[in-house]
Amino acid sequence: MKKKLTSVLAAAVALAALLAGCGGGGNEPAASGSSPASESPPASPSESPSPAKAENFTMSLRHIQIGEPQKFRKAILDDVVKKTEEEVPGLKFELDGVEDSVNRFTKLPAEMAAGNPPKIMSIFGGAGDTQKYAKAGRLLDLTPILEELGLKDKFLNVLDPFSVDGKVYGLPIGGNTEGIFYNTEIFGKYGLNPPTTWDDLIKAADTLKENGITPFAVGSKGAWVPNMTINTFIGRLAGPETITGFTTGASKWNSPDVVAAYTLYKEWVDKGYFTKGELGKEYGDMLNDFVAGKAGMMFDGSWRSSAFKNDAVGAAVAGKVAFVSLPPLPNGKGDQTSVNANYGEGYGFSSDMNENELKAVKAFIKNMYSDEMQLRGLLEDGVLPSMKLSEESIAQVSDPIVKQVLDVLNGAGVTFPHFDSVVQSKVYTETETQLQKLIAGKATPQQVADAIQKVQDEENAAAAK
Amino acid sequence: MKNALRNPYVYVAFILPTIALYFLFFIYPMIMSVYYGFTDWDGLNKPNFIGSDNFATAFRDPEFRSSMLNNVYILLFSCCVQVPLIVVFSLVISSVKRLQGFYKTTVFMPSILSTSVIGILWGYIYDPDVGLLNNLLKLFGAGPIYWLAESKWAMLSILITNAWQWMGFYIVLILAAILAIPKEIDEAARIDGASGAQRAWHLTVPLIKPVVNVVIMLSIAGALRVVDIVLVMTGGGPAGATEVMASYMVNKAIKYGEYGYGTALAIIIFVFALVLTAAYQILFARRQERLEY
Amino acid sequence: MPAAIKKTIPHVVLLAYVAVILVPFLFVLLSSFKANNVEIATRPFGLPKIWAFENYKEAWVKAKISVYFWNSLYLSLSSAVAGVLLAAATAFALTRMKFESASRWIYQFVLIGMLIPGNVLFIAQYLLVRNLGILNTHWSLFLPYTAGALPISVLLIAAFMRSIPGELEEAAIVDGLSAPGLFVRILLPLTLPALVTVFIVNFLGNWNEYLLANFFLNKDSLRTLPTGMVGFRDAFQTNYALICTGIVFSVVPVLVLYALLQKNIIEGLTAGSVKG
Repeated sequence: MKKKLTSVLAAAVALAALLAGCGGGGNEPAASGSSPASESPPASPSESPSPAKAENFTMSLRHIQIGEPQKFRKAILDDVVKKTEEEVPGLKFELDGVEDSVNRFTKLPAEMAAGNPPKIMSIFGGAGDTQKYAKAGRLLDLTPILEELGLKDKFLNVLDPFSVDGKVYGLPIGGNTEGIFYNTEIFGKYGLNPPTTWDDLIKAADTLKENGITPFAVGSKGAWVPNMTINTFIGRLAGPETITGFTTGASKWNSPDVVAAYTLYKEWVDKGYFTKGELGKEYGDMLNDFVAGKAGMMFDGSWRSSAFKNDAVGAAVAGKVAFVSLPPLPNGKGDQTSVNANYGEGYGFSSDMNENELKAVKAFIKNMYSDEMQLRGLLEDGVLPSMKLSEESIAQVSDPIVKQVLDVLNGAGVTFPHFDSVVQSKVYTETETQLQKLIAGKATPQQVADAIQKVQDEENAAAAK
Repeated sequence: MKNALRNPYVYVAFILPTIALYFLFFIYPMIMSVYYGFTDWDGLNKPNFIGSDNFATAFRDPEFRSSMLNNVYILLFSCCVQVPLIVVFSLVISSVKRLQGFYKTTVFMPSILSTSVIGILWGYIYDPDVGLLNNLLKLFGAGPIYWLAESKWAMLSILITNAWQWMGFYIVLILAAILAIPKEIDEAARIDGASGAQRAWHLTVPLIKPVVNVVIMLSIAGALRVVDIVLVMTGGGPAGATEVMASYMVNKAIKYGEYGYGTALAIIIFVFALVLTAAYQILFARRQERLEY
Repeated sequence: MPAAIKKTIPHVVLLAYVAVILVPFLFVLLSSFKANNVEIATRPFGLPKIWAFENYKEAWVKAKISVYFWNSLYLSLSSAVAGVLLAAATAFALTRMKFESASRWIYQFVLIGMLIPGNVLFIAQYLLVRNLGILNTHWSLFLPYTAGALPISVLLIAAFMRSIPGELEEAAIVDGLSAPGLFVRILLPLTLPALVTVFIVNFLGNWNEYLLANFFLNKDSLRTLPTGMVGFRDAFQTNYALICTGIVFSVVPVLVLYALLQKNIIEGLTAGSVKG
């Protein structure tokens, strides 16, 4: 049987090669992505006259840095890829860019089930992602590599969502917090105070609404977008410790405080604080509306800060955007300076590796998780470092929005994670389904909370078995 | 082996590849579907036999029930709105002489395009800000409609797109049958003084009934097969308003890894299709001879 | 005069329908040449102020339409040809060779396949190609595409072969032709019209297929046009001009083919469905 499989595979490879040959020039850019950087030297040396010692091999690398807003992150990745290819003889990466949620919720789960994930992949930490796949034996245990490279103690305390039983299966590329971006020009025009207190925030929203400007841009076709707001509402209204308590049973989705978070969201929907037709809007539309001045604010992750640089998609509002955390809620519980902090997005590696590929993985980790790249991420892309950087390095930050993001984090008494890196994937799915129902007016906050808690109970019971 | 046509080796060689492929990709998956349908397989761990739990869950599952209902909407829309329109348009096209070929070619065209490209195209037409429809509404001072974002419009938007794609196909089917009716019959009626509409209703429609039956059967099958357009245009949203059985099944299996439950849903869809087709045959389509095209 | 009006009414009705079909295309075509969304929104049917031809260059490079196009073409062609040949061979054996009772059973067995709606088998086929180790290769589409077309193809070709009189081949056999020789030299040429029909049905079906292509292939370089286009839209969510350019690229080749072969295509597709 096994022999047969190999022969089918071999035939398939041959076919693919044939295809590539016939495709001619057209096929080439497909493999190497759109950036010219990755097309340079390493493509040809294999055919050079000097006897090539190393066996040529390709490795698939799934990333989510596609489209204009991600170009800074793509540039960093491209440089790491290039450097790694130079260091590992014979290595050629095959980059495959897929939209974030398609990768996370469609492609990777299918590939993990099939047992053929890409060798290197963009992955999220948490029970629904890295931990689930690690338990199923799909991911490479990175602990020995980290030790060998001396990276073990270089990371901030951010590896837990990527770990199972003390072993590390993924490495976060950086961090972010979720808060409010607002357009200072529009705020100035209507004489509005920065939304740093609850009253100012509500006044701003009402004023914008009256003047035909959407208070908050949002694109809820992918429910993870409004879920960011919900998460912070929960952290503030029910207390920062609530979110980690869902899986232990210490907190309940249908407790009055969590229901209050959903109620508040629904209230804002009904008041017209969010983009009309938000359920049909993509995440990209949200940025578009904000950049076009159709909306005065948006609740988004700090990773969006790089979109407002002079050479980025949001150049139209460059210099006119500021970032604050959600102001203290009047009836909130716990520390009202607390903010959400995520170190969720990173890279994972398939457990199915041969010796050469393992070498490539090591080189990739060494190049990607270096002080240099961490600092570049911070400076060029506004991504908070996931590793320990020196004070001087951080002091180099000049981007005003990134500075504000750092201020928000420094001023926070406590941080809380996003529940998407805490709860089981079925629970998370249910939060998405139910939140969209809430927005569509098909369910009340209480019904939403009850439905989510029901799945949470089932999953907690299953986990306890 | 005098008779070459009795050579069993040739017979087997000619039939085996087909049967092997057919078995591998039809029969074997069907058997496996039934097997997985009774397990809780999640794609990662060993499947456990759980009896008919999946089927019981399916009929209690509100999301699946509402997606089933959406298939029923599509079915009713196809049979009660589209089919009469299709018949009328076919009659009208058959009644004109000039430009008949042009009309036929044009209305047929959308059915050769890929559903996913049509989904992208119409998604753009429905776009609330720059889309064609809201641009037209603006001309009349009507205010933007969030076609794909509001539950009350989303399903209708999908139905319209689906009709746009497939109506021409059925029109051409029926048109062929109309044009195949011998001219003499029509002539005779004309001499008897019957008007165009009378002739169409009393003469043509009864004669093309077998094809209309075929069109209805195809519409029923088509209504249960709808999935691409939903996946491309709305992904089942907003809040499940456009989810159909097949898209729900695909999502459950691929996105959430509930392979056992997903295959149970597949079997339900299969049974649904069989029952509907059989019911229609028994109730409406009296034994008619097979249509020769 | 009333007679003239009577004559025009059908044309008015039909031209309205034709407009509904064509206007979306016109809208997309105009949009594809526009510089930005504002221009699309403010003047949906105006000609572009400046014809932005660079959209086409950008889409061709960024969307890798050339790659998707080639993948689609080569997969659709190869599996349509394979399907037609397999089905023709089988139909020949079933209708021409002297194993009547076996043939009757096999024929019925193959026809069962037409009762199963395609998407019902989706998950199981997914697991199958995965177990065969061909997920993420073009084999994972080639095999199901070829297999999926077999029942209807066998049905159509067998029906056609039955209508061919037997005298010719009797003479051929007397001349010493073997069964495969008979098939290749006599039957295949005679069946050509049916083969063309079946080929068109299969080709277009494969060309447009989305569900399997979307889930069985993950690599961008392997994607076919339908899935590649959706990926392109997801990446350029709000750049409508560019998306429209992509639509134009993927629709035009099919329309050209349709313009050339419309009679065959219409006959092929309608015959394919009616027999089913």
